[in-house]
Amino acid sequence: MKIVAVTACPTGIAHTYMAAEQLEKTARKLGHSIKVETQGAMGIENKLTESEINGAAVAIMAVDIAIEEPERFDRIRKIKVPVQAAMKNPEAIFAQI
Amino acid sequence: MPLDFSFSCPLPNGVHARPASALEEVARTFTADVVLLNQRTGRSANAKSILSIVGADIRFSDPCLLKVSGLDEERAIAALGAFIRNTLPRQETELPTFTASEGELELPRCLEKSGAVFRRGTAVVPGIAQGQIVRAGGFNVPDGLPMDDVVDTLAEQRRVNDALDELIAWYGRRASAAGKGIESDLLVAHRSLARDEEFRACLLDAIAARHRTAAGAIADAEARFTKVFSDSENPLLHERVLDIQDVCAQLLQRVYGNETATRSLTLTEDSIVVADSLTPCQFLFLDCRLLKGLVLAEAGTTSHTVILARSFGVPTLVGVENIEGLAEKAQAVVDADIGVLVTNLTDTARRYYTMEHQRLDGRQAVLRNFGGKLATTRDGHAIEIAANIATFEEADRAFTAGAEGIGLFRTEMLFLDRASAPDEAEQHEIYNRVIEAANGRQVIIRTMDVGGDKALSYLNLAAEQNPFLGYRAVRIYPQFESLFRIQVRALVRASAHGPLRIMIPMISRLEEIRWAKKIIAEEQALCIAESKPFDKKMQIGAMIEVPSAAFALEEFCREVDFFSIGSNDLLQYFMAVDRADSRIASLYNPLQPAFLRLLKQIVDAARANKKWIGLCGEMGGQIRYLPLLAGLGLNEISVSAPAIAGLKAELSRLDLPDCQQLFAAALKCATADEVGVLLDKFSAQHSLPLLAPEMVVINADATTKEEAIKRGVDLLYIHGRTEQPRAVEEAIWKREANYSTGFGHGFAIPHCKSSAVNANSVVVLKFAEPVPWNSLDDKPVRVVILMVIHESDSATEHMKIISALARQVTHESFRESIEKEQNPERLCAFLKSKIGC
Repeated sequence: MKIVAVTACPTGIAHTYMAAEQLEKTARKLGHSIKVETQGAMGIENKLTESEINGAAVAIMAVDIAIEEPERFDRIRKIKVPVQAAMKNPEAIFAQI
Repeated sequence: MPLDFSFSCPLPNGVHARPASALEEVARTFTADVVLLNQRTGRSANAKSILSIVGADIRFSDPCLLKVSGLDEERAIAALGAFIRNTLPRQETELPTFTASEGELELPRCLEKSGAVFRRGTAVVPGIAQGQIVRAGGFNVPDGLPMDDVVDTLAEQRRVNDALDELIAWYGRRASAAGKGIESDLLVAHRSLARDEEFRACLLDAIAARHRTAAGAIADAEARFTKVFSDSENPLLHERVLDIQDVCAQLLQRVYGNETATRSLTLTEDSIVVADSLTPCQFLFLDCRLLKGLVLAEAGTTSHTVILARSFGVPTLVGVENIEGLAEKAQAVVDADIGVLVTNLTDTARRYYTMEHQRLDGRQAVLRNFGGKLATTRDGHAIEIAANIATFEEADRAFTAGAEGIGLFRTEMLFLDRASAPDEAEQHEIYNRVIEAANGRQVIIRTMDVGGDKALSYLNLAAEQNPFLGYRAVRIYPQFESLFRIQVRALVRASAHGPLRIMIPMISRLEEIRWAKKIIAEEQALCIAESKPFDKKMQIGAMIEVPSAAFALEEFCREVDFFSIGSNDLLQYFMAVDRADSRIASLYNPLQPAFLRLLKQIVDAARANKKWIGLCGEMGGQIRYLPLLAGLGLNEISVSAPAIAGLKAELSRLDLPDCQQLFAAALKCATADEVGVLLDKFSAQHSLPLLAPEMVVINADATTKEEAIKRGVDLLYIHGRTEQPRAVEEAIWKREANYSTGFGHGFAIPHCKSSAVNANSVVVLKFAEPVPWNSLDDKPVRVVILMVIHESDSATEHMKIISALARQVTHESFRESIEKEQNPERLCAFLKSKIGC
């Protein structure tokens, strides 16, 4: 399955990236293809394009703060979780897909 | 025929002890009776008694009448009149004032739940000290000494008379033995009280009229004059209660011998001396090797005892509440950094103070490493790192911190907040002390930068609309020529004692420096005429802070020996920006390419003419700008003392050609932001590495999350990566409040962005015993990777590395390698290899 995701935590130093890594690792393990956009202290990295979002089945939003350009995700099914959930038990998020 | 002289009190603080004693000194030289009448209160005083003068409670502008009658009344009235007109107005004294701490007491996290008892006080001498509580202070007659029913009153009077004479002589001997300074001033003041006519009369009278014993008479005198002082509305006089008590206690001891000396404490081990109040003499008699800390309930907010404690560096709290409840001999900590007296030292509290000592000692050890060395770049080019100071007391601290000279002594502090300017002797003494502290190193003293925003009441300058562009510094010297001459004379004479250079502030035109040089030359000529020694080669320099001077530097080079760039004002004037205005503060950016080009023009011109040039603005104190300033080609950078060691350490990591290249590239930038990017890139490559072996601790020791975070932040402090560890700690805790940074698997990654961080850093702590952390998996933590980033950093190299590090922590193999590795160097190398730095 094609999945997109966004991670964003308040400080944007550590957990944004840890959550991204956790989602990427778990997706690989479960045989999904995933692209994770991080919105941390360095701004938007690995930015998701319109076509990547449109081509995905679901968007995992592991965010604790309001993200930049949220309108890009208006037309896609979203699973919204706290950043902590992505770190603690990423499998549980994928189970909701 | 009695003569009189009327005047109104010229002293803003009224006639307190110092002016009273000066008046007494004059009056006692005549045989005529001198009576001072305060016409506001109707009280009259014997002008030959300090206590009596003080009792008249003369306040600012009170109408007074001086009446003189006796054989030499004409000479007396002439001398006293001259004294009141000319000298009295200058008898103002300034004691330091301390403001009580306000708001909620914020304890460090480690102490919050420690269970220790905290008594809040106002810290007046900083530092942390531990010892056993010893109570002291106050005046009281020991139990068992008879107070009344003397039979032979004449013999009792003789006893007191003799003891008083002996005490007066003793004060004199001790004062001359003490040399110059606070201690001697104090002893002289006490001698004046002891030889006061009223004081003696009061003692003798109590014996004759009321059959009091010597002890009774001394107790009465103590009570009476204490009341005179404490009833006064003048707060400066409240302080003198301690002096009266001191003299009375000394006298009591003289009459009855040492067995009554119950108050002179013998300290037997490290001690925290606790008292309602402590007299200066009581302080001086304490064994300063064992006196670790001082806690006073009273002492107002200004006192000589506090001044003494400061000069001895004894951590001191005043205004501490409920000290009655303190148990003698209990262990206590004076924490004058936080402002608390800590008792009931629980294990947690003891651990905290052990950590505090390790933090402070650790920093000292690192500072000794750099502070003691001359500042050079890695490739061996010297750039002097000197200190900016505003009072002579700061000089010692600056040299201890590693200053290679004084690059700027701002003298305006000497002139502020007083009724009249300091005279030549006072200034000479202060300049001398700085030169003494410098011990052969260069001292640059800047003549007063007063006027403008630093108004002096005695100059009567009209307020201006735009004081920064107004009548100040060298611009006011011609109008107040005598004031300038006095300072110049004091400086010229001080030059005899060590290398001293004079710097003139706010120079904008050649005429100003020529005028100042003419005055200096005239004062030097006077010194020759009076055969006073001075340094004929004393250098004269100009502070470069007005942009016009930068464009006339060739001409200035022909007039002066050196320059120092005052970058704060230079930038404000150059960019036409008031940095206090937050709306335009972003314009106040020393990285403006135009400003860097201005600096280059100044330094190039100075160097082409072989003139020494330094920089003494705040820009110099910021480690971030150091590579640029090194590349600029300055001879010296002068900064506040705490910044010195950090700058030396940073400089030792830089190569001059790299810095020169960086500066050349910065000059070509179009905007300040571009320079900033360049600088960040340079810093990432050259400054303190994000990761370093000294930031890795194997077998770290902490029993709680609070302690673990403190350990990490203390390490940052020890290695000069922050100057405000508590602010960094709080930022980490603020982040921790969102949710725990305990990732699970025994790893935690506390982190923050904070402006209190000087160098982006990663600390790795591996704990010998796991630490509770409320982690995601509820397991305790064995490894803490603490990451701190400067507030303004965003897309830097360091951020990328930190984010890569955070990603790595999610990998089991990465965690396993860290757990296995027991060598800091190898662990550091492993981390670097994994995250590409």
